[in-house]
This record gives sequence, C-alpha cells and structure tokens, in this order.
Amino acid sequence: MTSIQGILLAFLLTAAVVSIFAFKARPAYRLVELLLSCGAAVLVLFPDLTTLIAHLLGVGRGTDLLLYVSLIVGLHAVLLLYVRTRELERKITGQTRAIALRNACGTDGR
Amino acid sequence: MEQADVFVVIPAYNENAVLRSTISDLVTFGYSIVVVDDGSATPARSCLEGLPVHCVRHDINLGQGAALQTGDEFALSKGARIIVHFDADGQHDARMVERLIEPIVNGKAGVTLGSRFLDPLDRREVPLEKRLLLKAGVFVSWCFTGLWLSDTHNGLRALSRAAAQQITLKENGFAHATEILGLLRRSKIPYSEIPVSIYYTEYSRKKGQSMLNSCNILIDLVLRRLFG
Repeated sequence: MTSIQGILLAFLLTAAVVSIFAFKARPAYRLVELLLSCGAAVLVLFPDLTTLIAHLLGVGRGTDLLLYVSLIVGLHAVLLLYVRTRELERKITGQTRAIALRNACGTDGR
Repeated sequence: MEQADVFVVIPAYNENAVLRSTISDLVTFGYSIVVVDDGSATPARSCLEGLPVHCVRHDINLGQGAALQTGDEFALSKGARIIVHFDADGQHDARMVERLIEPIVNGKAGVTLGSRFLDPLDRREVPLEKRLLLKAGVFVSWCFTGLWLSDTHNGLRALSRAAAQQITLKENGFAHATEILGLLRRSKIPYSEIPVSIYYTEYSRKKGQSMLNSCNILIDLVLRRLFG
C-alpha cells in the first residue's frame, strides 16, 4: 500500500465515523454515507478499477472520471445547501416578524 | 381621509444618529409613523423617547426588504389607508410625502414610486458615480421585470391599502427594489413615478450602496430567478 492510499483510507474512515454521529436521526443518510465510504475505499485499494469503469463509459483515464463525478456531486451539494439556506432564511424571517409584531409598542404609550 | 391614516414606514438599521431628526420632520405633518428597527445594535427605541411613533423591532438583522414587509403588515393591522416607505438616513424630504400620496388619494394609482431623475433640478443633485450605478439598476430591473422606469432604487414610495395587501416582499435584502417592480407588473396595479428630491448628505453617502454591494444584489436576483 502506498502512503497516499493510507492517507485517503484514514480520511474515509474519519468521514464514516463522523457521519455515524452526525446523522443519528437520519438512518437513510447514514446508510448512504457508509455505502459511499465503502465504495470509495474499494476504489482507493484497487485504483485500476476506476480506469476500468472509465473505459466502459468512454472516458480516457480513471482520474478524469473522478474529476467529472466530483464536479457534478459538488455542484449538486452547493445547490442543495443554497435551497436549504433559503428555506431556513424564510423560516427565520417569519419567526422574527411574528415576534416583532407581537411586541410592537408606541413610544408615547399607545 | 385623515393624515393619521397615512402610515410612514421607516426601516432603520443602526441609524440612531439621524433617526430622531428624520422623524421629527415627519411628525409635524401628522402622519402615523412606524419605525422598524431591523436589529440595530442599540435599539432604535432608545432615541425615540417622547415621539409619537410605533416601534417594531426585529431581534436579528434581516435586511431592508424584510423590515419593509414587517412595517407594511403592522400598518395594515392598524388600519392604514396608505403606506409610505421612507428612508431613515435623512435623504428624503418629509414634504415629498404629500406629493407622493396624491395620485393614490385621487384613485389614479395604486402605487407611486419616487424618482430623482424626472426633474432636472433633482437630477443635478445626484453625484455622478451614483447616477451611473442607478442607471445600471434601471437596466437590471428592466431585464428582470420588463418595466423601464427612470429610478428603480429610490427608497421613497407609496402604496394604497389594497396594493399593500397584494404585494408581499420575499426578498429580505436590497433586491426588494426590483422584486416590487416585478410584483407590480404581475398584479397589474396602476403605478406612476413622482419627481422627488433626494438630499445627499455626508452621512447618507457613507451609508449608501457601494459598487460591490450592488454586485451582490445582482447575484441575489439571478439566483432567486433560477432557483426560487
């Protein structure tokens, strides 16, 4: 095993452990995260596998395939976060507004 | 209609230094005044002692659009017949309110928008870099809403009760200026532009929108258009 493989495996293990704690309330997320980690570990241990898959898809190198996939996944994650943040903002606005209106007052005692 | 039926909504975020003098001017006209303190570090209420105003406070800073929407809802709940949006920083003239609400009182418009580019005298007051920025705003607003106005980012506007009930601002930030035009177009509320003077004081210039911030607003608009 090369040192980069060791580093990547350590990272994957950390991510898997963190996800187990982070997604306590969402078993489905936990399962997906674990499956992804395992899949990634397999690819790290057998790098030629990525090239094999890449060739099947008509991509020249395994690293190129990884690049494309990570781009798509990354962009998707950003959009998902954007929508979530927007939703959160909407909720906070509604809540803050309701509190503000409830506590409205006149400075001259009206 | 009485003066007290006209509700002037003033969003304020850390404007305590000038808020009192802005409001003192308005008070003499007898309008109902709603200060929406948008989470100022020092509550705006502390500088409003003794003034006959309503004060509504957001516990956290949400942005001007959100503050205006809160002010509108409050004014409607108090039976406002006309709602006026007015900047806290002292760049608007209280005398303009009467001019602004006239078409609404006469039933000629549901919404009136202040413009500093209709009267050559007002236009001359606008610093050059501001003028360029504002014209860019006009263009951007046209791209997004199809409405070509002379001044799209003027904080001074008035809405009839019916119009305020129809228009709900969802943009918390400054993109509300463009959002409101889109809502105007869709709801087919009759509107008109009214010439108003804007005073550029040292203070209001410092607090105004920078070039960088304008880019952020544009990005806001594009994202919201694409992803709701």
